[in-house]
Amino acid sequence: MSAPSLANAISKRPWLMRIMKPISNWYCNAAGYRALGLRADDLIPEESEEVLLALKRLPQQEAYDRVFRLRRAFQASLAHQLLPKAQQTKPEEDIAYLSPIIAEIEAEARERLDLESMTITKKK
Amino acid sequence: MISRSAIGRNGQLALRRQCCVKPTNRRGLAAVSSGSTSFSYENADVGGVKTASRDVAGPTTKLAVIAKAGTRYQSLPGLTVGLEGFAFKNTFKRSALRVTRESELLGGQLTAYHTRESLVIEAKFLREDLPYFTELLGEVVSQTKYTAHEYHEEIEPQIKLAQKKLLGSVSALALNSAHSVAFHRGLGTPLYPSSSTPLNKYLNEESIRDFAQSAYAKSNISVVANGASQQELAKWVGEFFGDVPAGASPLSGEPTKYFGGEERIAHGSGNSMVIAFPGSSSFTSGSSYKPEIAVLAALLGGQSSIKWSPGFSLLSKAASSFPGASANTTHYSYSDAGLLTVQFSGSANAISNASKEAVKSLKSISEGSISKEDFTKAVALAKYRALEEGQNIEAGLVATGAGLVHGGQPFQIDQVGKSVEAVSADKLQAAAKALLEGKATVSSVGDLYVLPFAEDLGLKV
Repeated sequence: MSAPSLANAISKRPWLMRIMKPISNWYCNAAGYRALGLRADDLIPEESEEVLLALKRLPQQEAYDRVFRLRRAFQASLAHQLLPKAQQTKPEEDIAYLSPIIAEIEAEARERLDLESMTITKKK
Repeated sequence: MISRSAIGRNGQLALRRQCCVKPTNRRGLAAVSSGSTSFSYENADVGGVKTASRDVAGPTTKLAVIAKAGTRYQSLPGLTVGLEGFAFKNTFKRSALRVTRESELLGGQLTAYHTRESLVIEAKFLREDLPYFTELLGEVVSQTKYTAHEYHEEIEPQIKLAQKKLLGSVSALALNSAHSVAFHRGLGTPLYPSSSTPLNKYLNEESIRDFAQSAYAKSNISVVANGASQQELAKWVGEFFGDVPAGASPLSGEPTKYFGGEERIAHGSGNSMVIAFPGSSSFTSGSSYKPEIAVLAALLGGQSSIKWSPGFSLLSKAASSFPGASANTTHYSYSDAGLLTVQFSGSANAISNASKEAVKSLKSISEGSISKEDFTKAVALAKYRALEEGQNIEAGLVATGAGLVHGGQPFQIDQVGKSVEAVSADKLQAAAKALLEGKATVSSVGDLYVLPFAEDLGLKV
């Protein structure tokens, strides 16, 4: 499930983008998931039909890497340790690999709902 | 009301167009037809895409894209079936769901199927919806997305089911086996991948996408309509098939060679046996068309064409003395070869007796001991079948499309009738003799302990 986001509105306005970029970088680093080797999309809750389906649609390599990142993060969290600097997620690695698929699935569901709720009037 | 945003720009355009063009292409059933009412096709080349249509009067139209991409031309096993599965799936312009719902609203029916030589994508609809469905077929051919998840979630399970279905059906197994023994590769490729084909190795959305690039190239497809005027068709094809790639590497099969031989497959559920001989290529191929094979098929027969009687055909007479066996002669004609098959099914004992009887009757034809009356009946039946096939919308459509992409001629019904009529008894006898002298193809599926070998039947393999 994708959370409501202002990202689209911001990225359309270059001046706003310039202001927000450092803030967002600071926030992502402060959130701490990068220090555990995770990506932002790893944090999306799995407990919904859409996300489960999206996880099934991940390419094999991506799915494997995701599980690896999660297990490594659990391990680090249990041991109360951060990963060594080299293994932490770099900002350029923190890409959205799952949310585009979720957005696609949501768009499909929305379209189905639209088509199901339409009413037809015959042309005169 | 269909919400404007929901139906999409293309749908709107199509709907709007229909009401504008209505006066030109809509007419009541009783009115005089504007086009030809004959059963011959007019063909034309529209921007590199071959089209053919016959304007049969009536309120419905059948439109098909016929691609020279049947199992014969697939570069890896299963590609044709995979490509067929991707017909009417998500395209770059609209989703599969939308395609389905929109055509339901217009009362259209969409199907895709394949033969050994052609892949057919077909739409049936009301005559005035021609622009909408021409656009849809153009979109399927040039804009399909070939997504991984559709392949894994929808198409792959279907292919697996088709494999299981093939494995369970003895008659399909026997026919496929006869084809592969007779032609090895090319036409010998099974119509559906057999259950032990390692599909994961060959088949995925990317290999299918690559195959589509050459399968749906302009030089490789033809658009055939039944119940639409040639001008209308040419106009809409010109508009909507512009995006179809010109095609760098056309699919080419090796010229077919007949080999012959024997194959025996043990099977637990049912018995089937196919005796096959080299046949004639289809009428649309031109020179190598041999009408006497069609007459021979009618004379051998097997299934009665009238009620309450085994009929005149030699095999139905033979089979009627062996209850539990049924025989059927079919002539499969392709662009450059053909296969005359006699298929038996039933209990193993009855099949073994009936097949011996069948070879005897073929020998009697080759010796010329066939009555004048039976010969006349066979010619009449063969002529009727050829003409009916041409008149039959489905078969005529595919035959014409395949003929066009193979560089031949459209299926012209009056000429077929004439060439069948011209077959003489001597010609028939010579043809039967040639078949028996050459190598036969024999495939037995079922209880191999009982089913006879080709040697026992007196056939050369």
